Amino acid sequence: MDRRRFVKICGGSAAMLAAGLRTARAQPYVDFPKVRLTDAAGVPLKAAALKTEEAYVFHFPYRSFPCFLINLGKPAGAAREMSSEAGSYQWPGAVGKDGNIVAYSAVCTHELSYPSKEGSEIRYSATPSPLAEKPGMIICCAHDSVFDPAAGAPRLHGEARDPLLPVRLEYDAAQDALYATGLAGVQLVERFFRNYRRQLIAEYGAGVYKEPIGASSQAVILSEYAGGSVSTC
Amino acid sequence: MSDRINRRDFLKMSGAAVAGGATVAATGTAVAATSSIAAGVKAALPKAKGPRLVIVGGGTSGLTIAKAAKKEYPKFDVVLVEKRDMYSSCFSSNLWYAGLINLEFLADHSFLDAARNNHYIYFNATATGLDRAARKLITSEGEIDYDFLVVAPGISYDYGRIAVKDEETIDALRTTYPGGFISPTEHVTIRRKVQEFEGGVFVQYVPSGNYRCLPGPYERACMIAAHIKKNKLKGKVLVLDANPEITIKKEGFHAAFNELYKGIVEYKSGSAITGVDLGKKMLKTEFDSYHFDDASIYPGVRASTLIEQLGLMDPKSPQKEAMISQTKYNLIGDERVYVTGDSRPHPYSKSANTANTEGKYVAKVLAARAQGKDITWYSPRTVCYSMVSAAPMEAIGVDAGYVLNKEGTAVAGFSPDTKLFEKRNAAMGKTTLEWARGMYRAMFEG
Repeated sequence: MDRRRFVKICGGSAAMLAAGLRTARAQPYVDFPKVRLTDAAGVPLKAAALKTEEAYVFHFPYRSFPCFLINLGKPAGAAREMSSEAGSYQWPGAVGKDGNIVAYSAVCTHELSYPSKEGSEIRYSATPSPLAEKPGMIICCAHDSVFDPAAGAPRLHGEARDPLLPVRLEYDAAQDALYATGLAGVQLVERFFRNYRRQLIAEYGAGVYKEPIGASSQAVILSEYAGGSVSTC
Repeated sequence: MSDRINRRDFLKMSGAAVAGGATVAATGTAVAATSSIAAGVKAALPKAKGPRLVIVGGGTSGLTIAKAAKKEYPKFDVVLVEKRDMYSSCFSSNLWYAGLINLEFLADHSFLDAARNNHYIYFNATATGLDRAARKLITSEGEIDYDFLVVAPGISYDYGRIAVKDEETIDALRTTYPGGFISPTEHVTIRRKVQEFEGGVFVQYVPSGNYRCLPGPYERACMIAAHIKKNKLKGKVLVLDANPEITIKKEGFHAAFNELYKGIVEYKSGSAITGVDLGKKMLKTEFDSYHFDDASIYPGVRASTLIEQLGLMDPKSPQKEAMISQTKYNLIGDERVYVTGDSRPHPYSKSANTANTEGKYVAKVLAARAQGKDITWYSPRTVCYSMVSAAPMEAIGVDAGYVLNKEGTAVAGFSPDTKLFEKRNAAMGKTTLEWARGMYRAMFEG
């Protein structure tokens, strides 16, 4: 996907960023073609089957852009207004039968550490950790940032300033199915592509990394996705 | 797993650097330029399109501020003056000695890319003088007018700290047994020393004072010891420490020395060097003398000599650091001139993470002041990992913040949320590499 198409898809936000407008403004979710989440084998995921110990990694809205799918094991907080450097937005809360399921970008808003096949510095820790102490946090060990996924993933500790990007999920109760449909704060996606262009070209191929993910995306348990090498801070 | 650092440890660690905070009225005197460029010759730069922010020094502090200031206040016309034409980081260089990374890891980062990605000018020149009355920085490539000036030149070595005063011995030490905490050419030399070490005693000296990278010398001892262990050399690393105890992460380092490198690392505390005899390869301490086959002598640090040359030094500072506000970083009496990074007088750990987080704060101060506003102080953060094992890679870490004194004028100690992670593990080993990659992204990417 070229930049023009990216800007078109991402709507006004990316263009405004490019124009250097930095005033606080509403930062609405950007809609993307609906993506069905599947398991690692490509079978449509059942929300009831999601484990609570770890996050799942899926890619959305582009082939190389990683997101976390998390079953919090308890209901998340209510929908709330969130603020970020690029503007404010409404976090819609969790989905699922019990309101337990949330999704966010798996790219740290500080310096963009993300899960790869070689390992991951960023993780969801259902249990208390040395750094976060509280259970149920998303933690990036690269520079010690902590985010609370039950409350829209605001930063609780560390140098990150912005919340993790919220992914809008749609829940189909009849089929117990999950779909990703939107993302807020797409400026970070552009930054991710700029920062990692060399690596992404090497891993996915020139241009391929920014192609849309397609109709479905595999959600894989983080420790499996990252080859067993997940941070523990 | 985690331990709090108490105030006593903090003061101990920061040493004499806590003292200071002198206030002297600034004089607008020009410091003589030693440049061969005739006075009045302007540097060849595009015309400033907004308030010109000139930054001297392309290390972690200068690169962070150049990027962040432009982001905070896009009207700034930022010029980064850097004497090097090739970047290579000091942080992470110890990992190279054990072959955990290559030189590309440290040096595959271009000043040109940093400038292009972040919309500022990289000007390859050496700062030589300052005329604060006329707001001119004098460089080897001509004069640059500034609206705001940030001086972030890092550190210089202070050989007086190991009782070496004659230039001949200083030159010999500098050349043959470099400290390895300033320039890339030192790292190349030390890498070669390690590769060519055939056995005997390799001395790693740890200076007193608030030296750059507190855990650095201990980490290096571990990396050299890992090389000795791997290659089954009949040799050891003798760590001569001027301090009464390991200065940071002491449990983690002692555990590494005792459990991983028994018989390979020998640690001697309270061993300040009081004399050297390079002919006999002997180092003298108060009560002992030690023979060495090879060495890295880290003699102690002071602020970069440029701070003194530009007239920014606090005459009372034991490490010749800058006379600046501890909360706003401006030279006392001149809100157009700022000093950041390892030339600062604060008792902060002189580390890349500190310089990076501090730089983002100072960029906010500059942006606010350029618009006639001000901002409230907040602490930099020292997130710092040390690799203690090479095979497998295992590291220890610290995550420290700082608090001000009651008056809010000077840094008084570590913040209550400071934590030590002293049980080495492989996860932190990997994190050590990603921490560095994040630092490079923070400085060079857009």
